[in-house]
Amino acid sequence: MENLKDNLDNGLKDSLPIATKELTLNMGPQHPATHGVLRLVLELDGETIVKCTPYIGYLHRGIEKLSEHRNYFQIIPLTDRLDYIASMSNNIGYCVAVEKLFGIEVTERSQFIRTIAAEMSRILSHLLWLGTHALDIGAMTVFLYCFREREKLLDLFERLCGARLTVSYTRVGGVKNDVTAEWLEDLYAFTGEFPMRVEQYETLIDQNRIWLRRTKGIGVISAEDAINWGLSGPTLRGSGVPYDVRKFMPYAAYDKVKWEVPTGKNGDVYDRYRVRMEEFRQSNLIIRQCIEKIPSGPIMADAPKFILPPKDKVLNDMEHLIHHFVLITKGPQTAPEGEIYVATEAPKGELGFYIVSDGTGKPYRMRIRTPSFVHISALPKFSEGSLVADIVASIGSIDIVLGECDR
Amino acid sequence: MTAKEFIKKVLFIEILKGLALTLKHLFSPAVTRQYPAERREPFPGSRGLHALVIDEYTGKAKCVGCGLCAAMCPSQCIYIYTSEDEDHKKIVNRYEIEVLRCVYCALCVEACPFGAVALTEHYEYSDYSRDVFYYTKERLLENWNKYMAGQKGKEYFEKFWRPKSEDFRNSKEPHAS
Ligand code: SF4
Ligand code: SF4
Repeated sequence: MENLKDNLDNGLKDSLPIATKELTLNMGPQHPATHGVLRLVLELDGETIVKCTPYIGYLHRGIEKLSEHRNYFQIIPLTDRLDYIASMSNNIGYCVAVEKLFGIEVTERSQFIRTIAAEMSRILSHLLWLGTHALDIGAMTVFLYCFREREKLLDLFERLCGARLTVSYTRVGGVKNDVTAEWLEDLYAFTGEFPMRVEQYETLIDQNRIWLRRTKGIGVISAEDAINWGLSGPTLRGSGVPYDVRKFMPYAAYDKVKWEVPTGKNGDVYDRYRVRMEEFRQSNLIIRQCIEKIPSGPIMADAPKFILPPKDKVLNDMEHLIHHFVLITKGPQTAPEGEIYVATEAPKGELGFYIVSDGTGKPYRMRIRTPSFVHISALPKFSEGSLVADIVASIGSIDIVLGECDR
Repeated sequence: MTAKEFIKKVLFIEILKGLALTLKHLFSPAVTRQYPAERREPFPGSRGLHALVIDEYTGKAKCVGCGLCAAMCPSQCIYIYTSEDEDHKKIVNRYEIEVLRCVYCALCVEACPFGAVALTEHYEYSDYSRDVFYYTKERLLENWNKYMAGQKGKEYFEKFWRPKSEDFRNSKEPHAS
């Protein structure tokens, strides 16, 4: 009451008709549109955002620290829980990094399987993004349609490795199971009909006037700013920067297939949406080419020092059995010392693993560079001067997952 | 704005197109399942509740209590207590899995050198108390009989017990570590 009176008095003094004051609005951590447990504190002037401060850490599980106490095999299930929407990409990112550290060369067939799996996971992640992003903005139908396709891909994942969400599929030096011809056929059939599905999503929202009003010119970030903020993935490409780790530092089989990097122009929510829609088609194309080209052969690399020996040998051969025991209880004992940073292109952006090895079976330190963490830090930039309702569109368009941000 | 765009805007063309699509879907068969009534069959190899393998010849548990599964488990939720009998043979007194902490990664299956632990396809086992989820050796053996008995269990290990020799390019002898 006192305050109000003061304000009024001051207001009268400056001969203003109404006293104004900035309003602080707390959004989250349980807000449905923040895609997890993100808390934003917004300072508002009317409906315009003056300042936006993200608070993170609600989903912190200490994955980096836990990794220091797990050997190189045991970390794979932990990486599932970074970006749980695309656990396959995290598995692959981690294994690529460890393989580079150990100097393991993965077999051709494994490379192709990984590429297929990574692109499936990209489609899965983008489907969830499209569904929830549209739902945030008010388009309900797209959400249901996206989940229909997700179900099919998740079933394929389950047939491949036994789990739908937290797959733990790759291994250091290869993958867990080989793909069967049937599986590849079913996936091929899916890729045949998927472009038609993407067209359906586009029919629903691409030209819809409400969608356009809510996305065009909203959450704009220029190419220069995007680079300076360290953005990556579709969020960066939406601003017109054609940077894609898959093209610049190819891993798996990305250099053996033909595809393009879609980019936007204006760097607004709509352009980022367009980029991801194009990525659906490109991923689909990559999967089709991989299925056509996949060579036959073994799936595990020839690096006995770092890979669990074959089960049939373990049972019949003392040396293999001892080796098996040592590998599991202590981790690979001949891991080279040194440090390494390897980046891969996860659906949300550049996912990097920085591993310091001290020659024991466990990493001395593992730091994970996750795209969501960087993107959230740029959120104040996205929301500068926009309306409250538009921050929901902005959050949706940078596609964050808090499991990955907080780690 | 051209005349064409103007007409499109006035006639709500893009909205009508979207509505036509949803109308078409109204007559296509539903893809959702009415869960408790309609259950989805998990695929073979789906990772669910644990089971301890029973040897089909001896009728006893295959597990010898080596502890590799417990060492490999990333969430450290397997507890094994062993002792010696009169002939200095190892006996597994207790083998317990705290299922609530398990992440279903199947690394225990991969670590076991004897094929003595498996993940069944059973996934519906919610309950009202925490004690139920502390699976003892007896209950784990029971799981095997319940969910993996006969041909299914055999197939499981043929298909999903990896890595196998055929997975390697040329499986050389391991270098002693
Ligand atoms: S499935 Fe994974 S988490 Fe569960 S008991 Fe086995 S090793 Fe441990
Ligand atoms: S289940 Fe297998 S790995 Fe675990 S203690 Fe028994 S024999 Fe050893």
